[in-house]
Amino acid sequence: MRGYPALWIEVLRLSWRHLPAVTAMSSAVIALSVVAVPAVAYSLRATVDATAAGHHTAALVGAVGLALAYALTSALDEMSGQLLNTAADRTGRLGVHPLVHREIASLRGMEHLERGDFLDRVDIVRRGTGQIARSAWNALLTVSSVLKLVVTVALLGAVHPALSALIPLALLPVWAHRRGQELVRRAEVAGAESQRVQRYLFEALTGAASAKEVRTAGSAERLLGLQGQAWRETERIRFRARGAAALWSLAGWTLFVAGFAAGVALVIWQTSRGVGTAGDLVLTVMLAVTLSQTMRATVAATAATSRGRRVVEPYLWLRARVAADRARDHATARPPEILSEGISLDGVSFTYPGAESAALDGVDAHLPAGSVVAVVGEYGSGKSTLVKLLLGFYRADGGTVRVDGHDLDGLSAEAWRSRSSAVFQDFGRFHLPFRETVGLGDLSRLDDADALRRAIDAADAGSVVDRLPQGLETQLGRELGGVDLSEGQWQRAALARGSMREAPLFFVLDEPTASLDAHSEEAIFRRYMERARAHALRSGAVTLIVSHRFSTVAGADLVLVMDRGRVVESGTHAELMALRGRYADLYGIQARAYAPTPTE
Amino acid sequence: MRFVRDLFAQLVLLRDVGPGWSAVLVVVRLADRLVAPVTAVALSALVGTLLGPSGPQLFTTALMPLALLALVMLVGQMGEAAAEPLEYLVRSRVDGAYRGRLIRAAGARRGVAALEDRRNQVLLRQVRADPEHGIESTPGDGTVATIRWLCGLAGTVTTCVVLARFSWWLVPIVLVPAVITVVVRYRLLDLVTGGWERATKGELHTDVWREANVSPAEGKDIRVFGLRDWMVDRMQSQLREVNGPLWRSVDRVIRMEWVMVLLMLVGLVPAYFLVTRAALDGATTVTVQTAVLAAGWSLYQTGGSSLDLFHMSGAGRVRRSLARLRERWESMDEAAIEPADGARLLPERPAGLVRFENVGFTYPGTEHPVLDGLDLRVRTDELLAIVGLNGAGKSTLIKLLCGLYRPTSGRITVDGTDLAELEPEDWRSRLSVIFQDFNRYPLTARENVVLGAPPRSGTGDDEADLRAAAEEAGFVSVLSWLPDGWRTPLSRARSGGVDLSGGQWQQLALTRALFAARRGANLIVADEPTAHLDVRTEFELFGKLAERRSETGIVLISHRLSTVRRADRIALLDGGRITESGTHDELVARGGSYAEMFAVQARRFRDDAKEA
Repeated sequence: MRGYPALWIEVLRLSWRHLPAVTAMSSAVIALSVVAVPAVAYSLRATVDATAAGHHTAALVGAVGLALAYALTSALDEMSGQLLNTAADRTGRLGVHPLVHREIASLRGMEHLERGDFLDRVDIVRRGTGQIARSAWNALLTVSSVLKLVVTVALLGAVHPALSALIPLALLPVWAHRRGQELVRRAEVAGAESQRVQRYLFEALTGAASAKEVRTAGSAERLLGLQGQAWRETERIRFRARGAAALWSLAGWTLFVAGFAAGVALVIWQTSRGVGTAGDLVLTVMLAVTLSQTMRATVAATAATSRGRRVVEPYLWLRARVAADRARDHATARPPEILSEGISLDGVSFTYPGAESAALDGVDAHLPAGSVVAVVGEYGSGKSTLVKLLLGFYRADGGTVRVDGHDLDGLSAEAWRSRSSAVFQDFGRFHLPFRETVGLGDLSRLDDADALRRAIDAADAGSVVDRLPQGLETQLGRELGGVDLSEGQWQRAALARGSMREAPLFFVLDEPTASLDAHSEEAIFRRYMERARAHALRSGAVTLIVSHRFSTVAGADLVLVMDRGRVVESGTHAELMALRGRYADLYGIQARAYAPTPTE
Repeated sequence: MRFVRDLFAQLVLLRDVGPGWSAVLVVVRLADRLVAPVTAVALSALVGTLLGPSGPQLFTTALMPLALLALVMLVGQMGEAAAEPLEYLVRSRVDGAYRGRLIRAAGARRGVAALEDRRNQVLLRQVRADPEHGIESTPGDGTVATIRWLCGLAGTVTTCVVLARFSWWLVPIVLVPAVITVVVRYRLLDLVTGGWERATKGELHTDVWREANVSPAEGKDIRVFGLRDWMVDRMQSQLREVNGPLWRSVDRVIRMEWVMVLLMLVGLVPAYFLVTRAALDGATTVTVQTAVLAAGWSLYQTGGSSLDLFHMSGAGRVRRSLARLRERWESMDEAAIEPADGARLLPERPAGLVRFENVGFTYPGTEHPVLDGLDLRVRTDELLAIVGLNGAGKSTLIKLLCGLYRPTSGRITVDGTDLAELEPEDWRSRLSVIFQDFNRYPLTARENVVLGAPPRSGTGDDEADLRAAAEEAGFVSVLSWLPDGWRTPLSRARSGGVDLSGGQWQQLALTRALFAARRGANLIVADEPTAHLDVRTEFELFGKLAERRSETGIVLISHRLSTVRRADRIALLDGGRITESGTHDELVARGGSYAEMFAVQARRFRDDAKEA
């Protein structure tokens, strides 16, 4: 449970900052509920005893006091449920939610989003912000329940010292119940896998995009069967655990009730000898009833706290990663205003964590300032990894990357990125108004209509805007009441976004035209070549084009041919053709495909 | 009376649980709810014994009521312990059956328009019985809460009987404020569930960012463009805005709690006062007094906790939203063209010719037609490539071909029969489509492939077809890499599962299509299957498809002209219609748009060839 107390304190602070009233009331209710425990039992005893003894005033005051005590207890009961839910839900949304999302976005790399098992944890955290907040309150509830238990038992001891023996006896059902709850918690984990499958299949069967395929393939019945099967699998695991838990707690309670009956018999025996009063008996019974409620609450609170671990554990893991990132990332140096030498890679190697073979294996290259560099290679040759490294998503395991002689690791990643721009192969599809989808490329000019217009022109995306029903203001995404873009239209939007920053030092185009038709591809390439030249003049920028279409790379100043994580050939198009190596080979395949007469 | 209607609707759902378990839960809950009044009676009996004549026999006379008290407590504990798993089971069965019905209802839609509609998506999110807020209600929650509430009524009646032992008029004194409490509470909570319904709609916009932040694609953009702080601020301001009304209604419930305290005092103070005075005056016994004092308050408990009332109200809303969703679905179905008189089946032999005859199509709710006067023949013994500019309507054409939408004008025929008159499932079993965003199920490799075709009636042997399809698609190399072969789940989040790379998934999709071809599909439609593949893989894949074309027709949608040129026929889609059609050489010779497009892509290579 290391790291928990600090997290809880932080959550309670957030709660106080965002919801002072609710936080104060919740704490007050929790504290008051400890005091309220004996109130009912004592006023009932007082009333019964006073009535039996014929003390008018005392009896009537006791009766009214009893009504007050009941009203107080039940109000506290209702309010603690509502207040804690409210405090947890709102602190989750207002305090923890931004914290979590900021942390996810603060991680320098992409590993937590690209590895399935990591993404799973991140997903649990981002869906569980309310539960993270709740766990702090559950911890407080646990403390207050234990206090209540102590108070109740102390009061019983006051009736007759022998009743103190109920303390160890009371621990029995608590222990048994806890054991059962541990079974339930484990079943929650064990049933999570089939639950996830079930959820995915439900979405696939009812979601618009996936339902297309389900219908055409005629797989609905089969999927429905699998979905039902997964649901029942979860149900079976969890029901069985709950049944076992019920038996445990039942066994515990049976022992407790037997012990309690013996205790009451003791009180009766005493009373029959004239030592105690009928009120004592009433007090004992009422306290015992409260005791069983309190024990239940105690167990529920501890069980909830341990269930919360499901969310808190991955969250602490995420925070540890963020902290480790920050510890390594103290670089504050800013990149130069203008590139004069360029970017050079010296023996750069990189292996994805958990992967067996290196994605980059000793890459040496110099990307001169003001040049257009093309990177070509087959699937999995390391092109995308190279891009990710140059943009600082990952750090090289070996070798160095230098920007005008400064180690890239020594530059602030944020500052370096703010002087870069990129259009990725798997570009983002932000379901926002079209204007913002593009404007995100330079937040400082999100509302600058001229800059927007220039970026849209650069990406030849004017025709896309013209077809949108509300032009630039059109909301994208049909589920939000907007329109859906085609693959090619999204790509143009991404290109326009990448063109918002007008003076980058480093500009990446990663397969920028994969979904574009021939006309657009040609037009866009011509424009981006011009743009690259303009950037080069202004800031000595390096433009990096990743492509497997050779027609698009022939105009580059330098072509790097990658294979299995290495740069195997480099030079201009003409040089590489003369080399008659891999580049010439791949180029030949494509050239033949475009040859005037069919070659089949 | 909406409350009563909801109550019945919730109880009807117990049919999904079965009479056995339902009855057990009701019995257990009844026992549990009777504990408070019966404890009061047993306690008062005990007190009565103690106040009677004292002496050595007192202890033995007290044993009876003591045993009763212990028994009641034990039954109470048993009920509480047993109710937990039982309620879980009832909730799970009700929700499970409910979700199954929901999926079926969604699947029964004639096209996909009803699913793509935005308001339907929002409604579906509300009624899918999978809480994201954590406090949302499902039908199962509603049923469990209803049982509790009804059993609580039995407790209320018993308590009233205990009170009536003193005097009948004590009952209304305590009961009336208790009933008012329940009504007020239900009204307030109903406002909360209403606010929650609206907040769900609003959070769709926040979801855009929530999902973007954990997606590798958007995640890169967020980092390069430094969107973090802006994004978080945006999410938070949206959250505040859409949850505002919900939170205000919750605040009101909390603030109104003092009214509940007041109501309880109004009921209990006079009752307790009068009973105690009567006992002091000797008008009643201390036994009765004790019973009234210990039982009276429980009327305020058995009336229903806030959580139960919340779930009852929430489940009612879910039910009404579902009714609205069904209504909308059905009206959109009617808008789709009905088959003339009962759907027809295709003859047993494979379909031969599909014709698009002057087809026009406009998406519902939009004005621009996507297709307009489109004529196209698709034969099942050739490789047809469809080429078009971006946004030319290629994907729409596939949706129409699959019968997912009906043309707004013109018609599509299969061997002369209008597609609209054909039984859609029968027609679709003749098709196999590799969509651009094909489904990647977190199931085993085997399931992922088998799901490409409808299950074969009778006892079909999947193995031979599976193996052959995998062989043909080159998926065997991936299979040998999978730790558990066909049985490996394709998701790292599953035990023993692995994640496939993009290229490997693409090969799986091809296997899926070829499997369907072996199962009777004789037209494969592939939408940009190679957009992100490299040259060599693309060529291999095309070669594999091309080999099949004598048995299975292929429609290939692509804008890679180097690939497309090898097709038997090429159709150019432009401005919503087919403007050119023919072989590569014919189209190049014709010197139209296709020739121009090809020239643009080829120019670089040719220029270079000249230089060389």
